[in-house]
Amino acid sequence: MPQIRLNNITKRFGKAIAVDDLTIEIGDGEFVTLLGPSGCGKTTTLRMIAGLETPTDGDIYIDDVCVFSSEKGIDISPDKRNVGFLFQNYALWPHMTVYKNVSFGLENMKWDKNRIKERVFELLAMLRIEEYSERYPSELSGGQQQRVAIARTLSTGPKILFMDEPLSNLDAKLRMEMRTELKRLHLETGSTFVYVTHDQLEAMTLSTKICLLKEGLLQQYEPPLDIYRYPANYFVADFVGSPNINIIEMEGEQINLDEIKLTNNQLSLLYTPNSSSITIPKGKKLLLGVRPEDIEICDEGTIEAAIYSTLPSGMETIVKLDIAGLLVTCVVFGGVDFPIGSRVKIAFNAKNYVLFDRESERNIASGTLS
Amino acid sequence: MNYRNRFKSFIKKPQNIILVSLAFILMYLTVIPMITILLDTFTVHQSELMRVKGSQIGDFTLYHWTKVLFSSASRKIFYEPFLNTLIVSFGTCIIAILLGGFVAWLVTRTNLKYKGIISTLFIFPYIMPSWTLAMFWYNFFKNPLVGGAPGIFTALTGIETANWFAYGPFPIIVVLGMHYAPFAYILIGGILRNMDANLEEAAQLLKAGRVKILRKITIPIVLPAMLSTFLLVFSSAMSAFAVPAFLGTPVRYQVLTTQMFRTLNGLNPGYGYIMALLMILIGVLILGINQRIIGKRKSFTTITGKSSNIALINLRAFRLPVSIFLLISIILICIVPLITFAIESFIMEPGNYSLSNFTTLFWVGSGSPDIANGEPGILRNISILRGLWNSVKLSVLVAFIAGSVGILSGYAIVKKKNTKLSALVNNLAFFPYLMPSMAFGAIYLSMFAVRRGFIPPLYGTFALLVLVGSVKYLPFASRASVGAMHQLSNEIEEAGTIQGIGWWKRMLRIIIPIQKSSFISGYLLPFISCMRELSLFILLVTPSSRILTTMLFQYNEKGWSQYANAINLLIVFFVVISNYVINKVTGASIDKGIGGN
Repeated sequence: MPQIRLNNITKRFGKAIAVDDLTIEIGDGEFVTLLGPSGCGKTTTLRMIAGLETPTDGDIYIDDVCVFSSEKGIDISPDKRNVGFLFQNYALWPHMTVYKNVSFGLENMKWDKNRIKERVFELLAMLRIEEYSERYPSELSGGQQQRVAIARTLSTGPKILFMDEPLSNLDAKLRMEMRTELKRLHLETGSTFVYVTHDQLEAMTLSTKICLLKEGLLQQYEPPLDIYRYPANYFVADFVGSPNINIIEMEGEQINLDEIKLTNNQLSLLYTPNSSSITIPKGKKLLLGVRPEDIEICDEGTIEAAIYSTLPSGMETIVKLDIAGLLVTCVVFGGVDFPIGSRVKIAFNAKNYVLFDRESERNIASGTLS
Repeated sequence: MNYRNRFKSFIKKPQNIILVSLAFILMYLTVIPMITILLDTFTVHQSELMRVKGSQIGDFTLYHWTKVLFSSASRKIFYEPFLNTLIVSFGTCIIAILLGGFVAWLVTRTNLKYKGIISTLFIFPYIMPSWTLAMFWYNFFKNPLVGGAPGIFTALTGIETANWFAYGPFPIIVVLGMHYAPFAYILIGGILRNMDANLEEAAQLLKAGRVKILRKITIPIVLPAMLSTFLLVFSSAMSAFAVPAFLGTPVRYQVLTTQMFRTLNGLNPGYGYIMALLMILIGVLILGINQRIIGKRKSFTTITGKSSNIALINLRAFRLPVSIFLLISIILICIVPLITFAIESFIMEPGNYSLSNFTTLFWVGSGSPDIANGEPGILRNISILRGLWNSVKLSVLVAFIAGSVGILSGYAIVKKKNTKLSALVNNLAFFPYLMPSMAFGAIYLSMFAVRRGFIPPLYGTFALLVLVGSVKYLPFASRASVGAMHQLSNEIEEAGTIQGIGWWKRMLRIIIPIQKSSFISGYLLPFISCMRELSLFILLVTPSSRILTTMLFQYNEKGWSQYANAINLLIVFFVVISNYVINKVTGASIDKGIGGN
């Protein structure tokens, strides 16, 4: 049973289209990330589901109940949608103590005092901020404020939790820690999480499914590793993954049923699609997508390259290679340092290289190289 | 580093030079005058020689203070006007804040119609001289009980207005309330616009109702800022002179400012100085309370967020009626008074509104000996045209000095923020705001009547008007500039410094252009305030330095109301047009000067 369903949702601000005909389903207990560059409509989408923004067109269902429909004129107010919302700037009430901030929602639900107290301290304990219960938000650090905001959002036990870039105001170390906690929280509460971020790493590591948007248009809606492995188009391939995917401009030619010859000034490779249903006319302009970890530096390699730069970080080393003027990035595990300018041999031994049509930028195949 | 080198590096920085010189100049122009008149209130003058027995001029005496505060006459001299001032100021605050706050809420938080025109017109009563509405009330509702011709209302309806309705505290409060409502509107609107809408949305998601959100979230959060709005309006209302003078005098309703005017113009300036000091004391107290409120631990924590996307409240069925009602009332307040001035200035015999009684005599007539001593119509009247020229000259000079000093002070204050010197200059630059205009004028009158150091006696000169205006309106300019500088990150200037660009060039080519509209607002507000200022200058003008506002007051006192109405129309016209032009050409606006966004 799908928990949240968006049917043909469109949002216009004046003439600008923020979200364009979006249709997605978010299942019960999922952790869905709305991902995309700034201005792609992800926050607007989140706010529309929560009821803070009114869509221009379309329907929204939560638990099979229609909460918004432009046609039927339904617009259920946010307080009746039973959802929690974690704001980017936390939106803690500056004139209330931590305790008051967290208990506010429970008071609105007319719980009795003792039960409220019990619940608040349970939450504060869970988020390890018990000792700050009598402080005001301005007296807390960013990380502590974040935890108060989470406690406040969880207090009423919403089955659906919306989060709008909740980690973007934290420093790198704290962000790492909070990521772990959010994932744990997702398991512990069993709620559905809908999460907005522009940080692809956050989306990759946290979500069960990523919904990637660009200029209000849905690009791909799939589990993170599928998005990583099988990007629907050039934009998705480029947006996800760090370091970036190598995109090499090639010309294709079908040489027999399941082999395509790819050539450019530097390389000449044989491409075997994993499913043999495509045909490439001679001279077709293509883009070959090669993930950095799919380039291997080894003595058995057939392609010559020079080391352009190395960035060893201890756990891994990012190496930039120069193949007769073509620059590509590859990743080597461990702290290997190559002298700049030295010559190495490389090979394409992985199972999955993606091919895009250079004109439409769509994914047309994935396959192996030899 | 030894002291010499430390001093050397200190004076190398322009912001230090600005702060030190401003500290000295402002001390000299605000604190010293206060001390002078404080001492003056303890001294025996020529006029008291008889009453303070066995004394000589210059002796120490408590005579003035006991007379004002602890004598049989002090009820009439001080306590009654004082109480009246409190009543008027409180009443004004309540009307201004309720009216201004309500309109601000409608404009920022609901889907009200005609927002553009409403927010433009609503500022009008503040741009117009405060007595405009007072004169309107007077013209419209005056009754024959006090003497003179009946007002338009009586002429139209035949109903005679009650005294309490036509004169005294009630009309004063209503008129001042309407005059300061735009001020409250600008401040509260700024607060509401800056308040993060997420705070309210968070409460809504936690199932709080509309009323509860307003009661538990919105109001408590804006309360400190509302209180400081209250205090600012209070201190402005307290120092208002023209309105009580127009509407209170016919029934001898005195407030501190009108009382001060009487005593300072009369025999015993000592009384007036004491009142001035007490009013300043109240002003300083208000400033203290204000800073206390703002510096609380519950204060705002602002973290950057997407607060711009406020979902406006749908007024549904009320939308059209509320919008139209508001628009019509604002037009009534802004436009109708001007029409009545126009009418009043065209009628020959006051109180007779028949067509045959209309005349253009008071505008372009050459004057007839049986009316107003043969004064020609205002557009042909050399002395009025000279007054207009003086007003414009004065306002331009004051705006230039106050605005430029304001930019420098804002720059230096923000640059050196969190230092004692910066805090001192910040307070000194704000101090003139708290001084009631009349008191400020009185102080300068006494202080610069004689030679002071290198400054020659200034009484009766135009320079004195420029000086007092520049100091009085510095707070507007410095506040606008401090606000603008706070928005500008330090790196922007440092990027220029590193490239070896000199200070003057950095100011003129980088900082001022970036915050152009805020800085120009810092010039605009002193200009407009100066054009319509009466109480600050009324004690200082002499026949050669007369300005339009003081002439208006004199004509009105002589009972030549047609001339007064015509002059008022001239002032309003001039102020509104210049505001409009400056606003359109530069993007500066008086809201920015006051502190709204």
